[in-house]
Amino acid sequence: MIQLFHIYKAYPGDPPALSDINLSIDKGEFVFLTGPSGAGKSTLLKLLFLAERPTRGQILIGGRNIARLRDSGIPFLRRNIGVVFQDFKLLPRRTVADNVAFTLDVLGVPRSESRERVMKMLKRVGLEHKADVLPPRLSGGEQQRVVIARALVNDPAILLADEPTGNLDPALTLEIMDLLCDVNVRGTTVVVATHDQSLLERYAKRTIRLERGTIVSDEDGIQAARRVASAG
Amino acid sequence: MSATAKAAYFWRSAVLGLRHSPFVHSVAVSTLAIALFTAGLARGAMRMLDGLKDTLGGEVEVTIYLDDSVTPERGRALASALAERTGGEATWVSPDEALTRLSRELGDLADTVAELPENPLPASVELRVPPPLRSPEKLAALAREARAQEGVTAVDYGEAAVERLSAISRALQVGGGIAFLVIVIATVIITSATLQLAIYARREEIEIQKLVGATDRFVKAPFLIEGLLQGLLGGAVAVIALWAFSRWAGPRVDELFAFLVGPGRSWTLVDGRALVEVMAVGAALGLCGSFVAVGRFLKV
Ligand SMILES: Nc1ncnc2c1ncn2[C@@H]1O[C@H](COP(=O)(O)OP(=O)(O)OP(=O)(O)O)[C@@H](O)[C@H]1O
Ligand SMILES: [Mg+2]
Repeated sequence: MIQLFHIYKAYPGDPPALSDINLSIDKGEFVFLTGPSGAGKSTLLKLLFLAERPTRGQILIGGRNIARLRDSGIPFLRRNIGVVFQDFKLLPRRTVADNVAFTLDVLGVPRSESRERVMKMLKRVGLEHKADVLPPRLSGGEQQRVVIARALVNDPAILLADEPTGNLDPALTLEIMDLLCDVNVRGTTVVVATHDQSLLERYAKRTIRLERGTIVSDEDGIQAARRVASAG
Repeated sequence: MSATAKAAYFWRSAVLGLRHSPFVHSVAVSTLAIALFTAGLARGAMRMLDGLKDTLGGEVEVTIYLDDSVTPERGRALASALAERTGGEATWVSPDEALTRLSRELGDLADTVAELPENPLPASVELRVPPPLRSPEKLAALAREARAQEGVTAVDYGEAAVERLSAISRALQVGGGIAFLVIVIATVIITSATLQLAIYARREEIEIQKLVGATDRFVKAPFLIEGLLQGLLGGAVAVIALWAFSRWAGPRVDELFAFLVGPGRSWTLVDGRALVEVMAVGAALGLCGSFVAVGRFLKV
Protein backbone atom coordinates (compact mmCIF):
# COMPACT_ATOMS: atom_id res chain seq x y z
CA MET A 1 0.00 0.00 0.00
CA ILE A 2 2.76 2.43 0.98
CA GLN A 3 6.36 1.98 -0.18
CA LEU A 4 9.30 4.32 0.23
CA PHE A 5 12.55 3.88 -1.68
CA HIS A 6 15.67 5.85 -0.79
CA ILE A 7 13.74 8.83 0.45
CA TYR A 8 15.67 11.94 1.36
CA LYS A 9 14.16 15.13 2.66
CA ALA A 10 16.16 18.24 3.42
CA TYR A 11 14.58 21.52 4.46
CA PRO A 12 16.54 24.45 3.04
CA GLY A 13 19.48 25.31 5.27
CA ASP A 14 19.06 22.38 7.68
CA PRO A 15 20.78 19.02 7.81
CA PRO A 16 18.54 16.43 6.12
CA ALA A 17 15.40 15.67 8.13
CA LEU A 18 15.21 12.24 6.51
CA SER A 19 17.91 10.28 4.74
CA ASP A 20 17.69 7.07 2.80
CA ILE A 21 14.37 5.88 4.20
CA ASN A 22 13.20 2.54 2.84
CA LEU A 23 10.04 0.95 4.10
CA SER A 24 6.94 -0.84 3.05
CA ILE A 25 3.54 -0.83 4.75
CA ASP A 26 0.92 -3.34 3.67
CA LYS A 27 -2.76 -2.78 3.17
CA GLY A 28 -4.59 -3.04 6.48
CA GLU A 29 -1.50 -2.70 8.65
CA PHE A 30 -1.30 -0.66 11.84
CA VAL A 31 2.07 1.03 12.24
CA PHE A 32 3.58 3.18 14.98
CA LEU A 33 6.20 5.69 13.95
CA THR A 34 8.30 6.65 16.94
CA GLY A 35 11.56 8.29 17.93
CA PRO A 36 12.82 11.36 19.78
CA SER A 37 11.72 14.87 18.99
CA GLY A 38 13.18 16.08 15.71
CA ALA A 39 13.73 12.53 14.43
CA GLY A 40 11.59 13.20 11.35
CA LYS A 41 8.29 11.50 12.19
CA SER A 42 6.09 14.42 11.17
CA THR A 43 8.19 14.99 8.07
CA LEU A 44 7.70 11.39 7.00
CA LEU A 45 3.93 11.67 7.38
CA LYS A 46 3.89 14.96 5.51
CA LEU A 47 5.60 13.31 2.57
CA LEU A 48 2.83 10.74 2.41
CA PHE A 49 0.06 13.29 1.78
CA LEU A 50 2.36 15.62 -0.12
CA ALA A 51 2.30 18.45 2.39
CA GLU A 52 6.03 18.28 1.62
CA ARG A 53 7.84 16.90 -1.39
CA PRO A 54 10.77 14.51 -0.99
CA THR A 55 14.13 15.88 -2.06
CA ARG A 56 15.00 12.54 -3.58
CA GLY A 57 13.54 9.06 -3.82
CA GLN A 58 10.26 7.39 -4.69
CA ILE A 59 7.03 7.06 -2.75
CA LEU A 60 4.51 4.57 -4.05
CA ILE A 61 0.98 4.72 -2.75
CA GLY A 62 -1.32 2.11 -4.21
CA GLY A 63 1.35 1.49 -6.85
CA ARG A 64 1.62 5.11 -7.99
CA ASN A 65 4.76 7.17 -7.62
CA ILE A 66 3.42 10.24 -5.87
CA ALA A 67 6.82 11.90 -5.69
CA ARG A 68 6.21 12.81 -9.31
CA LEU A 69 2.56 13.77 -8.92
CA ARG A 70 1.70 17.18 -10.34
CA ASP A 71 0.31 19.79 -7.93
CA SER A 72 -3.08 19.52 -9.57
CA GLY A 73 -3.15 15.84 -8.66
CA ILE A 74 -2.59 16.41 -4.94
CA PRO A 75 -6.29 16.95 -4.05
CA PHE A 76 -7.18 13.58 -5.53
CA LEU A 77 -4.45 11.83 -3.56
CA ARG A 78 -5.70 13.46 -0.37
CA ARG A 79 -9.24 12.28 -0.91
CA ASN A 80 -7.94 8.81 -0.29
CA ILE A 81 -5.93 9.67 2.81
CA GLY A 82 -7.39 10.79 6.12
CA VAL A 83 -5.17 13.01 8.26
CA VAL A 84 -5.37 13.66 12.02
CA PHE A 85 -3.16 16.10 13.90
CA GLN A 86 -2.36 16.82 17.50
CA ASP A 87 -4.05 20.20 17.33
CA PHE A 88 -7.51 19.41 16.20
CA LYS A 89 -8.04 21.94 13.42
CA LEU A 90 -11.79 22.07 13.77
CA LEU A 91 -13.76 25.12 12.64
CA PRO A 92 -15.01 26.61 15.91
CA ARG A 93 -18.07 28.29 14.42
CA ARG A 94 -19.42 25.30 12.54
CA THR A 95 -21.28 22.51 14.22
CA VAL A 96 -19.71 19.12 14.75
CA ALA A 97 -21.78 17.71 11.90
CA ASP A 98 -20.73 20.52 9.57
CA ASN A 99 -17.10 19.98 10.45
CA VAL A 100 -17.36 16.32 9.56
CA ALA A 101 -19.37 17.08 6.42
CA PHE A 102 -16.51 19.28 5.22
CA THR A 103 -14.76 16.30 3.66
CA LEU A 104 -17.89 15.40 1.70
CA ASP A 105 -18.61 19.00 0.67
CA VAL A 106 -15.28 19.02 -1.13
CA LEU A 107 -16.35 15.94 -3.08
CA GLY A 108 -19.66 17.52 -4.05
CA VAL A 109 -21.81 15.09 -2.07
CA PRO A 110 -25.32 16.59 -1.78
CA ARG A 111 -26.30 17.76 1.68
CA SER A 112 -29.09 15.26 2.08
CA GLU A 113 -26.83 12.29 1.44
CA SER A 114 -23.95 13.84 3.31
CA ARG A 115 -26.00 14.29 6.49
CA GLU A 116 -26.78 10.60 6.58
CA ARG A 117 -23.15 9.55 6.18
CA VAL A 118 -22.01 12.11 8.74
CA MET A 119 -24.48 10.83 11.32
CA LYS A 120 -23.36 7.26 10.73
CA MET A 121 -19.75 8.29 11.20
CA LEU A 122 -20.51 10.28 14.34
CA LYS A 123 -22.28 7.25 15.73
CA ARG A 124 -19.16 5.21 15.10
CA VAL A 125 -17.05 7.62 17.16
CA GLY A 126 -19.81 7.83 19.78
CA LEU A 127 -20.78 11.45 19.20
CA GLU A 128 -24.12 11.30 17.42
CA HIS A 129 -25.73 13.21 20.29
CA LYS A 130 -23.28 16.11 19.79
CA ALA A 131 -23.93 16.61 16.07
CA ASP A 132 -25.28 20.13 16.41
CA VAL A 133 -22.90 21.36 19.08
CA LEU A 134 -20.04 23.77 18.35
CA PRO A 135 -16.56 22.23 18.81
CA PRO A 136 -15.35 24.57 21.59
CA ARG A 137 -18.01 23.06 23.84
CA LEU A 138 -16.53 19.57 23.50
CA SER A 139 -13.79 17.97 25.58
CA GLY A 140 -10.36 17.41 24.01
CA GLY A 141 -11.06 13.73 23.47
CA GLU A 142 -14.41 14.49 21.87
CA GLN A 143 -12.82 17.07 19.61
CA GLN A 144 -10.22 14.57 18.49
CA ARG A 145 -12.96 12.05 17.78
CA VAL A 146 -14.65 14.64 15.56
CA VAL A 147 -11.37 15.09 13.69
CA ILE A 148 -11.11 11.33 13.21
CA ALA A 149 -14.70 11.25 11.98
CA ARG A 150 -13.86 14.01 9.49
CA ALA A 151 -10.82 12.06 8.31
CA LEU A 152 -12.78 8.83 7.89
CA VAL A 153 -16.21 9.89 6.66
CA ASN A 154 -15.00 9.58 3.09
CA ASP A 155 -13.77 6.03 3.71
CA PRO A 156 -10.12 6.61 2.83
CA ALA A 157 -7.77 3.67 2.39
CA ILE A 158 -5.15 5.23 4.66
CA LEU A 159 -5.34 7.15 7.94
CA LEU A 160 -2.31 9.17 9.03
CA ALA A 161 -2.24 10.45 12.61
CA ASP A 162 0.49 12.75 13.94
CA GLU A 163 0.56 12.65 17.76
CA PRO A 164 -3.22 12.20 17.86
CA THR A 165 -3.18 11.90 21.63
CA GLY A 166 -0.51 14.52 22.31
CA ASN A 167 -2.96 16.93 23.93
CA LEU A 168 -5.02 14.38 25.81
CA ASP A 169 -4.93 12.91 29.31
CA PRO A 170 -4.30 9.15 29.71
CA ALA A 171 -7.96 8.11 29.81
CA LEU A 172 -8.82 10.06 26.66
CA THR A 173 -5.64 8.78 25.03
CA LEU A 174 -6.85 5.22 25.40
CA GLU A 175 -10.27 6.20 24.10
CA ILE A 176 -8.71 7.60 20.93
CA MET A 177 -6.27 4.73 20.48
CA ASP A 178 -9.08 2.19 20.82
CA LEU A 179 -10.95 4.08 18.16
CA LEU A 180 -7.94 4.00 15.82
CA CYS A 181 -7.55 0.25 16.38
CA ASP A 182 -11.21 -0.21 15.58
CA VAL A 183 -10.76 1.78 12.37
CA ASN A 184 -7.84 -0.47 11.49
CA VAL A 185 -9.82 -3.63 12.18
CA ARG A 186 -12.38 -2.42 9.65
CA GLY A 187 -9.68 -2.39 7.00
CA THR A 188 -8.09 1.05 6.96
CA THR A 189 -4.30 1.21 6.92
CA VAL A 190 -3.29 3.30 9.94
CA VAL A 191 0.02 5.06 10.58
CA VAL A 192 0.42 6.78 13.95
CA ALA A 193 3.38 8.97 14.88
CA THR A 194 3.92 9.13 18.62
CA HIS A 195 6.68 9.41 21.17
CA ASP A 196 4.45 8.02 23.91
CA GLN A 197 6.31 4.87 25.01
CA SER A 198 3.37 3.57 27.02
CA LEU A 199 1.23 3.38 23.89
CA LEU A 200 3.82 1.29 22.10
CA GLU A 201 3.85 -1.17 25.00
CA ARG A 202 0.13 -1.29 25.50
CA TYR A 203 -0.81 -1.82 21.89
CA ALA A 204 2.11 -3.95 20.69
CA LYS A 205 1.89 -3.12 16.98
CA ARG A 206 4.51 -2.86 14.29
CA THR A 207 6.85 -0.07 15.39
CA ILE A 208 9.26 1.87 13.19
CA ARG A 209 11.80 3.86 15.18
CA LEU A 210 13.43 6.93 13.64
CA GLU A 211 16.49 8.71 14.95
CA ARG A 212 18.04 11.73 13.30
CA GLY A 213 16.28 11.03 10.05
CA THR A 214 17.05 7.36 9.63
CA ILE A 215 15.25 4.15 10.55
CA VAL A 216 17.05 2.50 13.46
CA SER A 217 14.64 -0.35 14.04
CA ASP A 218 11.50 -1.86 12.57
CA GLU A 219 9.84 -4.60 14.59
CA ASP A 220 6.58 -6.26 13.74
CA GLY A 221 3.67 -6.72 16.11
CA ILE A 222 4.73 -10.17 17.30
CA GLN A 223 8.25 -9.01 18.13
CA ALA A 224 6.81 -6.00 19.90
CA ALA A 225 4.45 -8.18 21.94
CA ARG A 226 7.29 -10.53 22.85
CA ARG A 227 9.53 -7.68 23.96
CA VAL A 228 6.77 -6.20 26.07
CA ALA A 229 6.04 -9.58 27.64
CA SER A 230 9.68 -10.29 28.52
CA ALA A 231 10.14 -6.79 29.89
CA GLY A 232 6.95 -7.03 31.99
CA MET B 1 -25.74 16.06 -9.19
CA SER B 2 -22.30 16.49 -7.79
CA ALA B 3 -21.94 19.76 -9.70
CA THR B 4 -25.18 21.18 -8.32
CA ALA B 5 -24.21 20.10 -4.82
CA LYS B 6 -20.92 21.94 -5.25
CA ALA B 7 -22.66 25.01 -6.61
CA ALA B 8 -25.00 24.94 -3.63
CA TYR B 9 -22.00 24.67 -1.36
CA PHE B 10 -20.26 27.64 -3.02
CA TRP B 11 -23.29 29.86 -2.63
CA ARG B 12 -23.82 28.79 0.93
CA SER B 13 -20.20 29.43 1.67
CA ALA B 14 -20.25 32.84 -0.04
CA VAL B 15 -23.38 33.96 1.78
CA LEU B 16 -21.87 32.73 5.02
CA GLY B 17 -18.80 34.80 4.21
CA LEU B 18 -20.92 37.91 3.71
CA ARG B 19 -22.74 37.35 6.97
CA HIS B 20 -19.54 36.53 8.75
CA SER B 21 -18.06 40.02 8.50
CA PRO B 22 -20.97 42.33 7.68
CA PHE B 23 -19.06 45.51 8.40
CA VAL B 24 -16.20 44.89 6.02
CA HIS B 25 -18.53 43.77 3.30
CA SER B 26 -20.88 46.68 3.79
CA VAL B 27 -17.92 49.00 3.21
CA ALA B 28 -17.31 47.32 -0.12
CA VAL B 29 -20.99 47.32 -1.00
CA SER B 30 -21.41 51.01 -0.18
CA THR B 31 -18.30 51.93 -2.14
CA LEU B 32 -19.65 50.05 -5.11
CA ALA B 33 -23.07 51.62 -4.63
CA ILE B 34 -21.68 55.16 -4.47
CA ALA B 35 -19.55 54.56 -7.54
CA LEU B 36 -22.43 53.11 -9.50
CA PHE B 37 -24.80 55.84 -8.33
CA THR B 38 -22.36 58.50 -9.52
CA ALA B 39 -21.89 56.72 -12.81
CA GLY B 40 -25.65 56.43 -13.20
CA LEU B 41 -26.07 60.16 -12.55
CA ALA B 42 -23.38 61.03 -15.07
CA ARG B 43 -25.02 58.77 -17.59
CA GLY B 44 -28.39 60.39 -16.95
CA ALA B 45 -26.93 63.88 -17.32
CA MET B 46 -25.22 62.87 -20.53
CA ARG B 47 -28.41 61.50 -21.98
CA MET B 48 -30.27 64.63 -20.97
CA LEU B 49 -27.70 66.74 -22.77
CA ASP B 50 -27.80 64.56 -25.82
CA GLY B 51 -31.55 64.95 -25.85
CA LEU B 52 -31.18 68.69 -25.61
CA LYS B 53 -28.63 68.77 -28.38
CA ASP B 54 -30.85 66.73 -30.63
CA THR B 55 -33.79 69.02 -30.08
CA LEU B 56 -31.75 72.11 -30.65
CA GLY B 57 -29.86 70.39 -33.42
CA GLY B 58 -33.13 69.71 -35.22
CA GLU B 59 -33.47 73.44 -35.62
CA VAL B 60 -30.00 74.21 -36.73
CA GLU B 61 -30.56 76.72 -39.41
CA VAL B 62 -28.16 79.05 -41.11
CA THR B 63 -29.54 82.33 -42.30
CA ILE B 64 -27.57 84.10 -44.99
CA TYR B 65 -28.53 87.75 -45.44
CA LEU B 66 -28.21 89.21 -48.88
CA ASP B 67 -27.81 92.80 -49.89
CA ASP B 68 -30.29 94.64 -52.10
CA SER B 69 -28.20 94.21 -55.24
CA VAL B 70 -28.91 90.50 -55.32
CA THR B 71 -31.79 89.72 -57.67
CA PRO B 72 -34.41 87.12 -56.70
CA GLU B 73 -33.07 84.87 -59.47
CA ARG B 74 -29.56 84.97 -58.08
CA GLY B 75 -30.94 84.49 -54.60
CA ARG B 76 -32.77 81.34 -55.66
CA ALA B 77 -29.75 80.09 -57.55
CA LEU B 78 -27.65 80.65 -54.45
CA ALA B 79 -30.15 78.68 -52.38
CA SER B 80 -30.22 75.72 -54.71
CA ALA B 81 -26.41 75.73 -54.96
CA LEU B 82 -26.20 75.65 -51.18
CA ALA B 83 -28.78 72.90 -50.95
CA GLU B 84 -26.82 70.84 -53.42
CA ARG B 85 -23.51 71.44 -51.66
CA THR B 86 -24.72 70.58 -48.19
CA GLY B 87 -27.46 68.09 -48.89
CA GLY B 88 -29.83 70.19 -46.77
CA GLU B 89 -32.86 72.24 -47.62
CA ALA B 90 -32.37 75.85 -48.64
CA THR B 91 -34.98 78.43 -49.49
CA TRP B 92 -34.81 81.98 -50.64
CA VAL B 93 -36.86 84.34 -48.52
CA SER B 94 -37.86 87.60 -50.08
CA PRO B 95 -37.92 90.80 -48.02
CA ASP B 96 -41.70 90.84 -48.25
CA GLU B 97 -42.02 87.34 -46.92
CA ALA B 98 -39.63 88.15 -44.13
CA LEU B 99 -41.79 91.11 -43.18
CA THR B 100 -44.96 89.02 -43.26
CA ARG B 101 -43.35 86.50 -40.95
CA LEU B 102 -42.18 89.20 -38.63
CA SER B 103 -45.59 90.73 -38.29
CA ARG B 104 -47.07 87.30 -37.71
CA GLU B 105 -44.57 86.65 -34.95
CA LEU B 106 -45.15 90.01 -33.38
CA GLY B 107 -48.87 89.35 -33.12
CA ASP B 108 -50.45 92.33 -31.32
CA LEU B 109 -47.60 94.57 -32.34
CA ALA B 110 -48.07 93.82 -36.03
CA ASP B 111 -49.56 97.27 -36.54
CA THR B 112 -46.21 98.87 -35.94
CA VAL B 113 -44.81 96.91 -38.83
CA ALA B 114 -47.60 98.04 -41.09
CA GLU B 115 -46.79 101.61 -40.25
CA LEU B 116 -43.22 101.33 -41.46
CA PRO B 117 -42.50 103.62 -44.41
CA GLU B 118 -40.54 100.94 -46.23
CA ASN B 119 -39.50 97.34 -45.69
CA PRO B 120 -36.27 97.38 -43.65
CA LEU B 121 -35.67 93.67 -43.97
CA PRO B 122 -33.16 92.19 -46.39
CA ALA B 123 -33.66 89.13 -48.51
CA SER B 124 -32.08 85.97 -47.18
CA VAL B 125 -31.39 82.33 -47.84
CA GLU B 126 -32.40 79.95 -45.09
CA LEU B 127 -30.51 76.68 -44.92
CA ARG B 128 -31.74 73.79 -42.82
CA VAL B 129 -28.48 72.08 -41.96
CA PRO B 130 -28.42 68.29 -42.30
CA PRO B 131 -27.18 66.29 -39.24
CA PRO B 132 -23.67 65.50 -40.54
CA LEU B 133 -22.83 69.20 -40.70
CA ARG B 134 -24.21 70.15 -37.31
CA SER B 135 -20.96 70.24 -35.36
CA PRO B 136 -19.70 73.67 -34.35
CA GLU B 137 -16.60 73.39 -36.55
CA LYS B 138 -18.53 72.45 -39.66
CA LEU B 139 -21.14 75.13 -39.08
CA ALA B 140 -18.42 77.71 -38.69
CA ALA B 141 -16.77 76.58 -41.92
CA LEU B 142 -20.10 76.72 -43.72
CA ALA B 143 -20.73 80.23 -42.41
CA ARG B 144 -17.28 81.38 -43.51
CA GLU B 145 -17.82 79.96 -46.97
CA ALA B 146 -21.20 81.63 -47.31
CA ARG B 147 -19.88 84.95 -46.09
CA ALA B 148 -17.25 84.92 -48.80
CA GLN B 149 -19.90 84.88 -51.54
CA GLU B 150 -20.68 88.07 -53.36
CA GLY B 151 -23.72 89.93 -52.11
CA VAL B 152 -23.76 88.28 -48.70
CA THR B 153 -23.89 90.77 -45.88
CA ALA B 154 -24.10 88.52 -42.86
CA VAL B 155 -24.45 84.92 -41.80
CA ASP B 156 -26.26 83.91 -38.69
CA TYR B 157 -26.63 80.62 -36.89
CA GLY B 158 -27.17 79.63 -33.27
CA GLU B 159 -23.46 79.39 -32.85
CA ALA B 160 -23.26 80.28 -29.20
CA ALA B 161 -25.85 77.73 -28.10
CA VAL B 162 -24.58 74.94 -30.29
CA GLU B 163 -20.99 75.51 -29.32
CA ARG B 164 -21.71 75.68 -25.64
CA LEU B 165 -23.77 72.51 -25.66
CA SER B 166 -21.17 70.61 -27.60
CA ALA B 167 -18.45 71.83 -25.29
CA ILE B 168 -20.42 70.75 -22.24
CA SER B 169 -21.16 67.37 -23.68
CA ARG B 170 -17.51 66.90 -24.69
CA ALA B 171 -16.34 67.91 -21.25
CA LEU B 172 -18.86 65.56 -19.69
CA GLN B 173 -17.68 62.75 -21.90
CA VAL B 174 -14.01 63.26 -21.09
CA GLY B 175 -14.65 63.96 -17.42
CA GLY B 176 -17.06 61.07 -17.21
CA GLY B 177 -14.55 58.76 -18.85
CA ILE B 178 -11.79 59.74 -16.44
CA ALA B 179 -14.10 59.57 -13.44
CA PHE B 180 -15.34 56.19 -14.54
CA LEU B 181 -11.79 54.88 -14.84
CA VAL B 182 -10.93 56.20 -11.39
CA ILE B 183 -14.09 54.65 -10.01
CA VAL B 184 -13.35 51.31 -11.64
CA ILE B 185 -9.82 51.20 -10.21
CA ALA B 186 -10.90 52.39 -6.76
CA THR B 187 -13.78 49.94 -6.45
CA VAL B 188 -11.69 47.04 -7.68
CA ILE B 189 -9.03 47.88 -5.12
CA ILE B 190 -11.58 48.16 -2.33
CA THR B 191 -13.50 45.01 -3.16
CA SER B 192 -10.28 43.08 -3.52
CA ALA B 193 -9.09 44.42 -0.16
CA THR B 194 -12.29 43.29 1.56
CA LEU B 195 -11.98 39.90 -0.05
CA GLN B 196 -8.40 39.70 1.06
CA LEU B 197 -9.72 40.16 4.59
CA ALA B 198 -12.33 37.50 3.94
CA ILE B 199 -9.66 35.11 2.72
CA TYR B 200 -7.55 35.87 5.77
CA ALA B 201 -10.49 35.33 8.09
CA ARG B 202 -11.06 31.93 6.56
CA ARG B 203 -7.48 30.74 6.27
CA GLU B 204 -8.13 27.87 8.68
CA GLU B 205 -11.06 26.74 6.64
CA ILE B 206 -8.95 26.91 3.51
CA GLU B 207 -6.20 24.92 5.18
CA ILE B 208 -8.67 22.20 6.15
CA GLN B 209 -10.26 22.20 2.72
CA LYS B 210 -6.89 21.53 1.19
CA LEU B 211 -6.16 18.87 3.77
CA VAL B 212 -9.29 16.94 2.82
CA GLY B 213 -8.62 17.21 -0.89
CA ALA B 214 -10.24 20.36 -2.24
CA THR B 215 -9.01 21.51 -5.63
CA ASP B 216 -7.79 25.08 -6.17
CA ARG B 217 -10.93 25.95 -8.00
CA PHE B 218 -13.09 24.62 -5.21
CA VAL B 219 -11.25 26.79 -2.69
CA LYS B 220 -11.46 29.88 -4.88
CA ALA B 221 -15.02 29.69 -6.15
CA PRO B 222 -16.79 30.93 -2.98
CA PHE B 223 -14.65 34.06 -2.94
CA LEU B 224 -15.43 34.80 -6.57
CA ILE B 225 -19.11 34.41 -5.77
CA GLU B 226 -18.68 36.64 -2.74
CA GLY B 227 -17.26 39.35 -5.00
CA LEU B 228 -20.10 38.86 -7.45
CA LEU B 229 -22.65 39.17 -4.63
CA GLN B 230 -20.98 42.34 -3.41
CA GLY B 231 -21.22 43.77 -6.91
CA LEU B 232 -24.86 42.84 -7.31
CA LEU B 233 -25.75 44.22 -3.88
CA GLY B 234 -23.89 47.45 -4.66
CA GLY B 235 -25.72 47.62 -7.97
CA ALA B 236 -29.09 47.09 -6.31
CA VAL B 237 -28.43 49.83 -3.75
CA ALA B 238 -27.32 52.17 -6.54
CA VAL B 239 -30.44 51.44 -8.59
CA ILE B 240 -32.66 52.19 -5.60
CA ALA B 241 -30.77 55.41 -4.90
CA LEU B 242 -30.97 56.46 -8.54
CA TRP B 243 -34.66 55.74 -8.61
CA ALA B 244 -35.23 57.79 -5.45
CA PHE B 245 -33.10 60.61 -6.79
CA SER B 246 -34.85 60.71 -10.10
CA ARG B 247 -38.25 60.72 -8.39
CA TRP B 248 -37.08 63.76 -6.50
CA ALA B 249 -35.22 65.53 -9.29
CA GLY B 250 -37.27 64.37 -12.26
CA PRO B 251 -40.07 66.97 -12.03
CA ARG B 252 -37.53 69.77 -11.63
CA VAL B 253 -35.56 68.63 -14.63
CA ASP B 254 -38.73 68.26 -16.65
CA GLU B 255 -39.60 71.86 -15.84
CA LEU B 256 -36.22 72.94 -17.06
CA PHE B 257 -36.70 70.96 -20.20
CA ALA B 258 -40.14 72.41 -20.76
CA PHE B 259 -38.67 75.87 -20.44
CA LEU B 260 -35.85 75.17 -22.87
CA VAL B 261 -37.39 73.07 -25.58
CA GLY B 262 -41.04 72.83 -24.87
CA PRO B 263 -43.08 70.36 -22.80
CA GLY B 264 -43.75 66.75 -23.46
CA ARG B 265 -40.50 65.17 -22.26
CA SER B 266 -39.91 63.36 -19.09
CA TRP B 267 -36.58 62.58 -17.58
CA THR B 268 -35.70 59.53 -15.55
CA LEU B 269 -32.47 57.91 -14.41
CA VAL B 270 -33.82 54.40 -14.08
CA ASP B 271 -35.23 52.68 -17.08
CA GLY B 272 -34.87 49.02 -17.97
CA ARG B 273 -31.58 49.55 -19.71
CA ALA B 274 -30.07 51.58 -16.90
CA LEU B 275 -31.10 48.88 -14.44
CA VAL B 276 -29.42 46.15 -16.44
CA GLU B 277 -26.34 48.27 -17.06
CA VAL B 278 -25.84 49.27 -13.43
CA MET B 279 -26.28 45.70 -12.20
CA ALA B 280 -23.98 44.33 -14.88
CA VAL B 281 -21.26 46.88 -14.20
CA GLY B 282 -21.60 46.20 -10.46
CA ALA B 283 -21.29 42.46 -11.00
CA ALA B 284 -18.29 42.94 -13.27
CA LEU B 285 -16.56 45.22 -10.75
CA GLY B 286 -17.19 42.79 -7.89
CA LEU B 287 -15.90 39.88 -9.93
CA CYS B 288 -12.80 41.84 -10.97
CA GLY B 289 -12.08 42.66 -7.34
CA SER B 290 -12.42 39.06 -6.30
CA PHE B 291 -10.25 37.84 -9.18
CA VAL B 292 -7.54 40.24 -8.08
CA ALA B 293 -7.84 39.15 -4.45
CA VAL B 294 -7.91 35.45 -5.24
CA GLY B 295 -5.01 35.77 -7.64
CA ARG B 296 -2.85 37.73 -5.25
CA PHE B 297 -3.71 36.42 -1.83
CA LEU B 298 -4.86 32.88 -2.27
CA LYS B 299 -1.81 30.83 -2.97
CA VAL B 300 -3.12 27.32 -3.09
N1 LIG C 1 9.01 23.26 7.83
C1 LIG C 1 10.28 23.01 8.25
N2 LIG C 1 11.27 23.81 7.85
C2 LIG C 1 12.53 23.56 8.24
N3 LIG C 1 12.89 22.55 9.01
C3 LIG C 1 11.94 21.71 9.44
C4 LIG C 1 10.58 21.90 9.07
N4 LIG C 1 9.83 20.91 9.63
C5 LIG C 1 10.71 20.15 10.30
N5 LIG C 1 11.95 20.62 10.19
C6 LIG C 1 13.15 20.01 10.76
O1 LIG C 1 13.20 18.67 10.37
C7 LIG C 1 13.58 17.84 11.44
C8 LIG C 1 12.53 16.77 11.69
O2 LIG C 1 11.35 17.41 12.14
P1 LIG C 1 9.99 16.63 12.41
O3 LIG C 1 8.95 17.64 12.70
O4 LIG C 1 9.75 15.71 11.29
O5 LIG C 1 10.35 15.83 13.71
P2 LIG C 1 9.40 14.94 14.63
O6 LIG C 1 10.01 13.63 14.70
O7 LIG C 1 8.01 15.03 14.17
O8 LIG C 1 9.55 15.68 16.02
P3 LIG C 1 8.45 15.86 17.17
O9 LIG C 1 8.41 14.58 17.91
O10 LIG C 1 9.00 16.96 18.02
O11 LIG C 1 7.16 16.20 16.52
C9 LIG C 1 13.79 18.76 12.62
O12 LIG C 1 15.18 19.00 12.74
C10 LIG C 1 13.08 20.01 12.26
O13 LIG C 1 13.75 21.13 12.79
MG1 LIG D 1 6.19 15.84 14.92
